[in-house]
Amino acid sequence: MSNFSSIAFYLPELLLVLTILAVIVVDLIPGLKRFNWIIALAGIVFTGVLLYGDSGVSESLYLGTIASDPFAYFFKWIFLIAGFFTILVSRHTHALRGADLPEYNALLLIVVFGLFLMASATNLVTVYLGMIETVSLPSYVLAGILKNDRKSNEASLKYVIFGAFSSGLMVYGFSWLYGLTGSMSLSGIQQGLAGVQEPLALYMAILLVLAGFGYKISMVPFHFWTPDVYEGSPTPITGFLSVAPKAAGFAILMRFFYSVFTTNSLTTIAGVDWLTLIALLSAVTMTFGNLIALQQENVKRMLAFSSIAHAGYMLMALSILSPDAIKAVMVYLTMYLFMNMGAFFMVIFAENQLNAHTLEDWKGLGRKAPFLGALMVILMMSLTGLPPSAGFVGKLYLFAVVIASKKFYWLAIVGVLNSVVSLFYYFRIVKAMWLFSPADPKPVKADSVIGLSILLFTIPALLLGIYWTPIINLIDKSIGF
Amino acid sequence: MTPTLMFALAILFLPLLSFAFQIFFGSKIGRAAHWFSLAALGVTLSLALSFFANIFITPGYALLDVSAVWFSSGSFTVELGIYIDNIAAVMLVVVSTISFLVHIYSTEYMRGDPRYTRYFGYLGLFTFSMNGIVLANSLLMMYVFWELVGISSYLLIGFWFEKQSAASAGMKAFLTNRVGDIGMFIGILLLFMQLGTFNIQAIAEQVEFGAFDGTGLLLTIAGIMVFMGAIGKSAQFPLHIWLPDAMEGPTPVSALIHAATMVAAGVYMTVRIFAFLTPAALEFVAVIGGITALMAAIIAITQVDIKRVLAYSTVSQLGYMVMALGVGAFQAGFFHLTTHAMFKACLFLASGSVIHSMHHALHKIDDHSTDPQDMRNMGGLRKKMPITYISMVVASLSISGIPFFTGFLSKDAILAGTLAYYHLHHGWTIFLPISGFGAAIITAFYMFRLIFMTFHGEPARKDIHEHLHETPGAMTTPLIILSVLSLAFVFTIPSTVNPFNSQGWFTSAIHTGENFAGLDMEVVGEALHHAHEPAMMISLTVAALGILAALLFYLFKVVDVEKLTRRVNKLGLYNLSFHKFYIDEIYDAVLYRPFFWYTKVVAKFDWELYDQKFIDWWGWLTLKISDWSGYSDYTWLDQKVVDGFGKATRYFGKELRLSQSGVIQNYILGGVIGILSIFILFQAF
Amino acid sequence: MDNLHSYLIISSILFSLGLFGVMTRRNGVAVLMGIELILNAANLNFVAFNRFGGMAELDGQVFGIFIIVLAAAEAAVALAIIINLFKNHETVNIDSADQMKG
Repeated sequence: MSNFSSIAFYLPELLLVLTILAVIVVDLIPGLKRFNWIIALAGIVFTGVLLYGDSGVSESLYLGTIASDPFAYFFKWIFLIAGFFTILVSRHTHALRGADLPEYNALLLIVVFGLFLMASATNLVTVYLGMIETVSLPSYVLAGILKNDRKSNEASLKYVIFGAFSSGLMVYGFSWLYGLTGSMSLSGIQQGLAGVQEPLALYMAILLVLAGFGYKISMVPFHFWTPDVYEGSPTPITGFLSVAPKAAGFAILMRFFYSVFTTNSLTTIAGVDWLTLIALLSAVTMTFGNLIALQQENVKRMLAFSSIAHAGYMLMALSILSPDAIKAVMVYLTMYLFMNMGAFFMVIFAENQLNAHTLEDWKGLGRKAPFLGALMVILMMSLTGLPPSAGFVGKLYLFAVVIASKKFYWLAIVGVLNSVVSLFYYFRIVKAMWLFSPADPKPVKADSVIGLSILLFTIPALLLGIYWTPIINLIDKSIGF
Repeated sequence: MTPTLMFALAILFLPLLSFAFQIFFGSKIGRAAHWFSLAALGVTLSLALSFFANIFITPGYALLDVSAVWFSSGSFTVELGIYIDNIAAVMLVVVSTISFLVHIYSTEYMRGDPRYTRYFGYLGLFTFSMNGIVLANSLLMMYVFWELVGISSYLLIGFWFEKQSAASAGMKAFLTNRVGDIGMFIGILLLFMQLGTFNIQAIAEQVEFGAFDGTGLLLTIAGIMVFMGAIGKSAQFPLHIWLPDAMEGPTPVSALIHAATMVAAGVYMTVRIFAFLTPAALEFVAVIGGITALMAAIIAITQVDIKRVLAYSTVSQLGYMVMALGVGAFQAGFFHLTTHAMFKACLFLASGSVIHSMHHALHKIDDHSTDPQDMRNMGGLRKKMPITYISMVVASLSISGIPFFTGFLSKDAILAGTLAYYHLHHGWTIFLPISGFGAAIITAFYMFRLIFMTFHGEPARKDIHEHLHETPGAMTTPLIILSVLSLAFVFTIPSTVNPFNSQGWFTSAIHTGENFAGLDMEVVGEALHHAHEPAMMISLTVAALGILAALLFYLFKVVDVEKLTRRVNKLGLYNLSFHKFYIDEIYDAVLYRPFFWYTKVVAKFDWELYDQKFIDWWGWLTLKISDWSGYSDYTWLDQKVVDGFGKATRYFGKELRLSQSGVIQNYILGGVIGILSIFILFQAF
Repeated sequence: MDNLHSYLIISSILFSLGLFGVMTRRNGVAVLMGIELILNAANLNFVAFNRFGGMAELDGQVFGIFIIVLAAAEAAVALAIIINLFKNHETVNIDSADQMKG
């Protein structure tokens, strides 16, 4: 579709850009400055309204560089929900009181826009644009938004160096991919692959691309930045980073691998069995994340390692690369959105009210705030994957495709064992919260917005474990590229 | 929707409704809220009875067999369904009867508790999940409810979570059970991978038609794996360690969950999968049951806490049931499950009545240091609490295997089964009858030790004794009902009232079991028939001997127990029993310490030498750790695993952690090394 | 200098130099320069492939322009962060930021 006629299908993104501009402009007007968050939230809501109109659309926009298809549509909702609540909760995060919130909101909105781009990119240029410029660059700044906080600063430094490095690898890989196949678009690459004469160069090129994507979803061995950045960033940002860009990373990984590989049934491109490679990386990733998480004392850092493990679980399905597998990843991402962000909101609550960071600080939290403590138990159950919770259903789908494919039985067993290991550290949190008497038994009350956000994210974390048909129906409709 | 399906769904969901009601409205309504739960459970019970009545009206196997698609993922679908046959119908009645009686009993026992209504909510949640296990037609659905039962048990054990020991006991039960559950889950997956279905009937059918031809080794492994779930839930050796600690929960809960129903879920599950357990797997089952039955009985002799005696007795009786299934005495195993549920619930509720009364008396004399559960503080309660006394004696006679009582019928059948097994296999299998009869004599002994120490003799503390009195009607009525249900004629009427003949409605409703995995049930049945009479003779003798010994030791005091103890203890035997075979300590010494030492040694190696491949190996090692952690003892599990699992793994995972050095350039190096090793590794293939 | 191979060789040398710089330099600014080298290696590849690879359109060249723009933006953000590092640590050595580990 030509550039001009594409605009009709690009309205949500355009509104998002307008919102970003409005937030920046309003920041300059002293009287209106304090309304910037309302504008940001309203912008997201109206983007959602426009996005709803895109439901069912399947068009290739801007000369085939961007797709507005059901697949992207699904992911865009995840980004909007995550973005909305991050902005909402950030206003009530004590740690962010010194930060320049209007700027922060604008940057966050830019990230959301970039994520939209990532989910719908069908061309190497747009992949690069979405991933690097519009997602990563503002993220680096957001991680370091607390300028005088040494940890925040360290987080942004590690993020920018590791990020820039891996995107450098990726773009170098892109250049080879372009040279070997003669095309920039994913479909063109897929057609070009058959004629490639240099398997070794192709192999290296795809491996470099995988490095770039792997960095985004924190796959071993490109996970190293994750714990440090997650720990140092302001907690709302950590929660956001652990969900939205990871979802986008999976979106782009699936789109890339699915369009390039399966339609050609060339799972052994360049003489390499890519699916076994991914299966192996998946096993290593989840094991690595879980093992180190076992030893963490800092709750945020523990959740960071656990998010590496969750990426490992999702990669498990990716090693099958069938429509069912993609569906399973999408189900898991939905569940993960609720349970993981809910857990991070709880961390914000603990930091706000008690300045609690380590498990030691969390002791007796359940007794001081029984309701939120109980919600946290549900979230932890869900993250572990115990029935009946959203996490269980998510895992069920992942394991189901692995087992049904009859290809990597060992991977399913590694996955189950890993879930068991994860029980131990998730329940360390539960234990700290409930089995110890707090030093100061005075009950604490959460800020109502944060408390409500925790509740709003816990309800689906439990409910989707019992009744998840609507999600499945939505995802069934969203499988088309 | 047919009426039967509607009834089944009502049985399942009414208790859940009760849970929801108590959680949302309970605290607003207050004490009166228990009427809602009582009504819900009453309806559940009567619906369960309606299924039960069907046994008499239309004898057939499947009363209800429906399923609906739960979800489908491309090429395969998973179904949810309900399956009720005679076994499930009997089990439903057992669960809902005891649950209903416990509800009534609790209205008095829990009076004045600050979380009174929530307690009833949890009972509802438990009953819901337990009925779910009973009704499930597929292993997956059973597994889901299996976990739910675990959660509600966790909530109820730790109900008085202000008590540190109660909270820890809840956690211990939960984690120990998980170890069994991993095995179960892997077993379910194995079966699914091989057969592509979770449906129990379908699995049995496929096995019957030779789905696992050849040696059946895989089927044996799958069977044992699934059975591991029962080892955890039914507190079989070596995962029995959680059950005695679970006595920290309120006593009615112990009666319902940790004596009559939930712990029997493991046995029930084994009954369900019996059809496709191979002879080798059954042998494993029998040995586990045998060890458990004998060992737990020995431990029970020396315990002084009234509830702990009953707890170990429960473990021992569960061992009987498991052993019965293992030796192929299918009917006997399930029979014992049913009879045991009644008399053990009666024993627990009676002990609760004693504790309740002791508690009040202690409260009156302002004594807060004496343990109301310690039998050494009791004695002579017979006259003060006649109803409790009589019902306890009835239940004790039943568990000891005296004619006219239910325990005699079911236990005798099990003992005949072990004897038959020995006749068929010879050799080491003599261990099974020895364990069976040995445990029988010990059971009779410790039960009457309990009766005599508690109800006979002189009161140990006159001051307490004065204030003791019989508990109110809400507590004694369930006792009376349950002790009537412990009388043998209940299970044989109207066919016969002969106390030595177990042929009645139960034996005709519950078939003798089918096995498609290689066990010839006809041969087993024949052997059982022959073993019946000798078994009865021996079992009567040993029961009499046990009671006689208790009489001599504790009632007439012909033998000085102190002296005997000292003499026996020269061989360390008394301590062996009192310290529960030192299993907790053995876990510490054999598993935990060497493991600690081992990790220290491992810590000396530098992980970078081993590069990426090593990580897989680490994964394998954690697998071991999580296994070991399950077999671990109380202190390890609680103080060390949950608190210190990190502590132990700190040695273990030290090297992995080092990879996260904090220096960004090492990270980049890690990434580059990673990509290069992938490049080389996969180029090689 | 008008065949594809020489350009590819130069670009891989650039790439290796960049990689080496990123991994060995302690100075944050020098690390950034290493990253720029990697990006330029990619850039050179794109342009060379576009010129000699028989491509009909100019998309390789366009990608090159994008990379240049993005590299500049990235450098701006990274430099700001390094300046902040200097404010907090009074050094631009990136291994001075190693508070979070393990």
